[in-house]
Amino acid sequence: MVSAATSVGRHSPGFPRFALAVALVIAAVYFLLPVVWVLLASTKSPGDLFATNGLWFSDAPQLGYNISRVFTESGGAFGVWVANSVLYSGVGALVATLLATACGYGIAKYDFFGKEQLFWLILAGVLVPATVIALPLYFLLNTVNLVGTYWSVLLPSMVSPFGVYLARIHAATIPDEVIEAARIDGAGEGRIFASIATRMIVPAMVTIFLFQFVTIWNNYLLPLVMLSDGAKFPVTLGLTLWNSQTQRDPYFYTLVVTGSAVSMVVLIGVMMGLQRFWRAGMTAGATKG
Amino acid sequence: MTRSKIAVAAGLVAFGLAACSSPAQNPTTSPTANESTEPLTLTFQSWVPNIDRAVDLFNEAHPNIHVNLETITAGPDGGYAKMFSAVQAGNAADVAQVGYDWLPDFVRNGAAEDITAGFQSSASLFQQWGVDAMTFGGAVYGVPQASSPLGLYYRSDIFEGLGIETPQTWDEFYQAAKAVHASDPNRYIAAFAYNQTPWLLGLSEQAGAVWFEPENDAWKVSVNDPETKKMAEFWQKLIDEDLVKIEADMSNEWYADIQNGNVLSWICGSWGDAIIRGNAPATSGKWAVSYLPQWTAGAKDTGTWAGGSANVVLKGTKHLKEAIEFAIWLNSNPESVSTLVSIGAGWPALADTTQIPSLQDDPTVFAFYGGQNIWDVFAESDKNVASRWKWPPLVSSLYTSVTDNVKASINNKTPLTQAFDAAQAAMVAAMRDAGISVVE
Amino acid sequence: MTAAATAITADDVLHGPTDARRRSNKRIGVALLFVLPFTLMFLAFYVAPIIYAIVDSTFAMKSSGLGFGPQQHVFVFLDNYMAALSSPDFQAGLGRLFLFCLIEVPLMVVTAGVLALLLDTGKTLWPRGFRVIYFMPYGVPGVIATLLWGFLYIPSTSPVLQGLSRAGIDLQPLDSGNVLFAIANISLWLYAGYNMIVLTAALNSIPTEIYEAARIDRAGEWAMVWRIKLPLIRPSIVLVTLFTIIGTLQLFVEPLVLSPLTTAINSTFTPNMAAYNAAFAKNNSSVAAAMAVIVAVIAFAMSIGFLKIVNRKGSEAW
Repeated sequence: MVSAATSVGRHSPGFPRFALAVALVIAAVYFLLPVVWVLLASTKSPGDLFATNGLWFSDAPQLGYNISRVFTESGGAFGVWVANSVLYSGVGALVATLLATACGYGIAKYDFFGKEQLFWLILAGVLVPATVIALPLYFLLNTVNLVGTYWSVLLPSMVSPFGVYLARIHAATIPDEVIEAARIDGAGEGRIFASIATRMIVPAMVTIFLFQFVTIWNNYLLPLVMLSDGAKFPVTLGLTLWNSQTQRDPYFYTLVVTGSAVSMVVLIGVMMGLQRFWRAGMTAGATKG
Repeated sequence: MTRSKIAVAAGLVAFGLAACSSPAQNPTTSPTANESTEPLTLTFQSWVPNIDRAVDLFNEAHPNIHVNLETITAGPDGGYAKMFSAVQAGNAADVAQVGYDWLPDFVRNGAAEDITAGFQSSASLFQQWGVDAMTFGGAVYGVPQASSPLGLYYRSDIFEGLGIETPQTWDEFYQAAKAVHASDPNRYIAAFAYNQTPWLLGLSEQAGAVWFEPENDAWKVSVNDPETKKMAEFWQKLIDEDLVKIEADMSNEWYADIQNGNVLSWICGSWGDAIIRGNAPATSGKWAVSYLPQWTAGAKDTGTWAGGSANVVLKGTKHLKEAIEFAIWLNSNPESVSTLVSIGAGWPALADTTQIPSLQDDPTVFAFYGGQNIWDVFAESDKNVASRWKWPPLVSSLYTSVTDNVKASINNKTPLTQAFDAAQAAMVAAMRDAGISVVE
Repeated sequence: MTAAATAITADDVLHGPTDARRRSNKRIGVALLFVLPFTLMFLAFYVAPIIYAIVDSTFAMKSSGLGFGPQQHVFVFLDNYMAALSSPDFQAGLGRLFLFCLIEVPLMVVTAGVLALLLDTGKTLWPRGFRVIYFMPYGVPGVIATLLWGFLYIPSTSPVLQGLSRAGIDLQPLDSGNVLFAIANISLWLYAGYNMIVLTAALNSIPTEIYEAARIDRAGEWAMVWRIKLPLIRPSIVLVTLFTIIGTLQLFVEPLVLSPLTTAINSTFTPNMAAYNAAFAKNNSSVAAAMAVIVAVIAFAMSIGFLKIVNRKGSEAW
C-alpha cells in the first residue's frame, strides 16, 4: 500500500500525530471488541458464559475442552462443516471468477448485438434480494434432481454479477494494440484471453475471487433452503442449527460461541494468507477503469 | 405451485445446466433394490438435541429397517417450510418432527399421511388428549411423542429465606411477587416473556380460554375472550407495579438472570428441567417444582406449552407401513421413551407412564430439586389437560400476531388486553384471507 | 481529471465504459463463447427464479370450511401486491427502512472515508495492521456478528454496558428509540472496513505529482483533503454509497436475529424481514415473492435516482 518513500512525497505537515494515533486506536478497539469477546467466551463453561465478565477470563478456562466438544459433537460434524465451507467457497469462487472474467472480457472487447442490454440485465441482478430467489431455486433445481446435493449450493454460487461488472471495467483497460499485435502474431482469440488478457487483469480476478469467496462463506439462506443432510452443511448453517438447539440444551450456547470463534479464525486465516493478493486486488478493484 | 409453472421453469434450468456436465445422481437416496440383504432405509427429520440416542435404539432392535436421522433447523425457524417444500417437490423425508400446534397446517397442506389404519391398534397406548390433537375429521395424522403440561419451577431456597409459601393461587403469586421485589430491587419473581406466544397461550388455556372451536364447518375464533383478558389483566398489574422483569425467556439475558437469582421462577413444561439444570448448575438443590397457581383456590386447572410434539409420516413416503411402525415404536417403547425423557424431549404422551424407568427414579434430576420427585407434578398436570383446546390452521399467523401485538403494547405502554383484541382481528383476517370460514 | 477519470464512475454504471469498438463480424462467434457460459448460468440461477417468483406472486392458495380439505391454487393477479402495500405493518416497515437508510448511509460513508483518510496521512505507525483490523469483521457472517452484538447489547451480559452503567450512563441499545442505531452499528462494524479498503485503493491511485504540486503551493493537510483527495476519489465514494444503499434496502438478517431479544422489533420490521417470515414461517411464498419484488423495484428506483442526482451535479462539483 502506501510505501514510506511515496508517503514522504505526497503528504504535507500539519496534522497532529498524537490525535491521529488516538483516533486510530479507538477505531481498532471498536472493531476488535466483539472479536475479543467471542475469543474469551470460547474459553468458558455454559454457566460462566453468562455469569462472568465478558472481557476477561473466567476462573476455570476450558478452551481445550470446548474445542474438543465442538469437534466431537454430533459425530464430528463441525470439522465436516468447515471442510464443506472451504469446498463451496473455494470451488464456487474459482469458477465464478473464470465465468465472470470471460464474460466481462467478452463484453469489453467485442461488439455484438444487445451487449449493453445484457450488461444492464446482469447489473440489475445485484439488486435482487436473496430472499426472493432461494425458494424458487429450490423448486427449479428439484426438477433436475439436484436438491440436497453439493451442486444445489455450488451451481448458484458460481454466478457473480458484480464480478462481471468489475471484469468489464478492468478488461477495458487492456490496450487494443496489445490484442491486435497478438492477432498479427497468429494467436487465436482464446489464447489471447487465456495467456495475455487474464494476466493483465489478475488483480481484478483476485478481487472477484475474494468477494465471491466471502459471499459464499457467509451465505446462509441458500444452503438452508437446499440442504437437509447435515453432512453437506457449510459452517454458517451448521452453527445456526446448533443455535436453534440452545432452546433445549444450553450447552449448545458454548458450542455455538466456540464454533463461531473457530470459524472466524479459519476465515481470517484464509484472508491473511491471501493478503498480499487481496491488497493488490482491492487496490485495482476500486480504481482502475 | 402448479405443474405447468414448474415445467416452464424446469426448461429454463435444464437449458442453463446443459452448459455444465451432468452431475452424478446421489445413489443413496433411492431405496436399494436388493431388499433381502440390505435393510430398508427411512429418513427421520428432527431438531430435538440428542434424539439420535433413541433412534439408535430403534435401529439396534430392527435389523430390517435403518432409520437415518437428519438434524434440521427447528420447525418454526424454517424447518416446517422446508418440509412443505419437500413434500410439494416429492422428495420429502419419511417421518418428521411436528408440533401439535403445527399439525393442522400439515393437514391443510396435504403434507401428512393419514395413518389411521396403522395406528388404530396402538392408539390405546397413548394419552387421550394427545391422540385427539392428532385427529382431524376422524382420521389420525400423527403419533404423539411428548407433551408439555405446565408446572412452576421456582427457587425454593430464596422463597424460604423470605418466608414465602409456595403460591397456590394467582393472588398468592402476586403477593409473593411483591415480597420478592421488596427484598431486592434487582430481583423479580418471574420474567414476562413477551417473545413467547406458547407461554402466554398456556396461561390463557389455564385460565379457561378456548381460542379456536370448530362450529359446523367454520372456526369460532376468540383470542380475546374474557378468560384471556383476565390473564392479561393479571400480568398487566404485575408489569405496572414493576413486579416482573420484561425480558425474553431462553435469551442470554434470561439465562444470566436465572443463574444470578434475579428471576426466581419459570412456568414451563417438563423439558424446562434440562434447561435450568444445564444453565445454572451452581444452583443445584435450590429449586423445586409445584403445580400451577390457580384462579380458584383448590382447582387443578392447567395448560400446555404449544401442546406437545408429534412424529408425522410425510406425504409421499414409499414405506408407509415401516414409517408408522417406527413412529409408534419410538414413542411407546419404554426404553426409547425413557431416553426421550432424559434428553429433555418432554412429558411422554403415553397413557401409562409407570413403565418408564427414567420417570420412576432419576437421581441426578431429583437431586437438583433437593430430592423432590418433580415428575409427580407433571404427571398430575398432564392428567388435567383439557381436551377442548383445538389448534387452528395458520398457527404461525397466530403466533406472529400475538407476539407482534404484545411487543407493541409493552413498547407503547398500552394495555395488554388490547394486544389480544388486535391479535383476534389479525387472525380472523388471515384465516378469511386464506378462504377459511370464521365466526366470531 | 486524471486518476479519477479512469476509476469506476457513475457514468460507467449508467452508460457503460467506453470500450474500443470492434467492427469485425467474424469475431462475434468468439465473443459469444466468452459471454455465453456466464449468461446461461445467469439465466438459470437468477433470471429463471425471478420469473418463477413473479409468476408465483400472482397466485394464492385458498382453503374452505375449517381449512383441512384440499386447497385451491387461485390466480389473484396483483392482490398480493395490493395486500402488502395497503398493510399498515408493511408500510411501517418501508418507512422504517427509509429512516434506516438515512442513518446508515451517511454513517457508513463518513466512517469509511475518515478511516481511509486518516490512514492515508502517512503519519501513522503500523498502517497495515490497522487496515487489517478494520477489515477483519467483513469475514464474519452477518448471523454470527448479530449474535455477538446481541450479547453486547444486553445489560446482564455486556461488559460495555455494565461499565457505562457504573459510570452513571444507562444505555438500552435495544429500546425502540435506539434499536435502529443498534442495527446500524452492526452493519457499520461489518462493512466499514471493506468500504474503507475500496476508498484507500482509490486514494493510492492518486499520482504523486499532484501532491508535489500541492506542496509547492504550500497546501495544508486539510486543504489537501478537501481540494485534492476527496474530489479525486469521488467516483469511489459514489460506488460505496450506491452499494450501501442497495445493501441497506435488503436489511433482514440483523433484525431477524435480534428480534427475540427486544420488544422493539416485530415480524414485519423491514419489508425483507416480512418477506422472510411470510416464506419461512408462514409458508406463503406468494406473499413473500410480492414483498421481495416490491423491495427490488424500490432498490432499482433508488439506485437510478441516486446516480441521476450525482451525475446532474457534474463530476467536478462538490
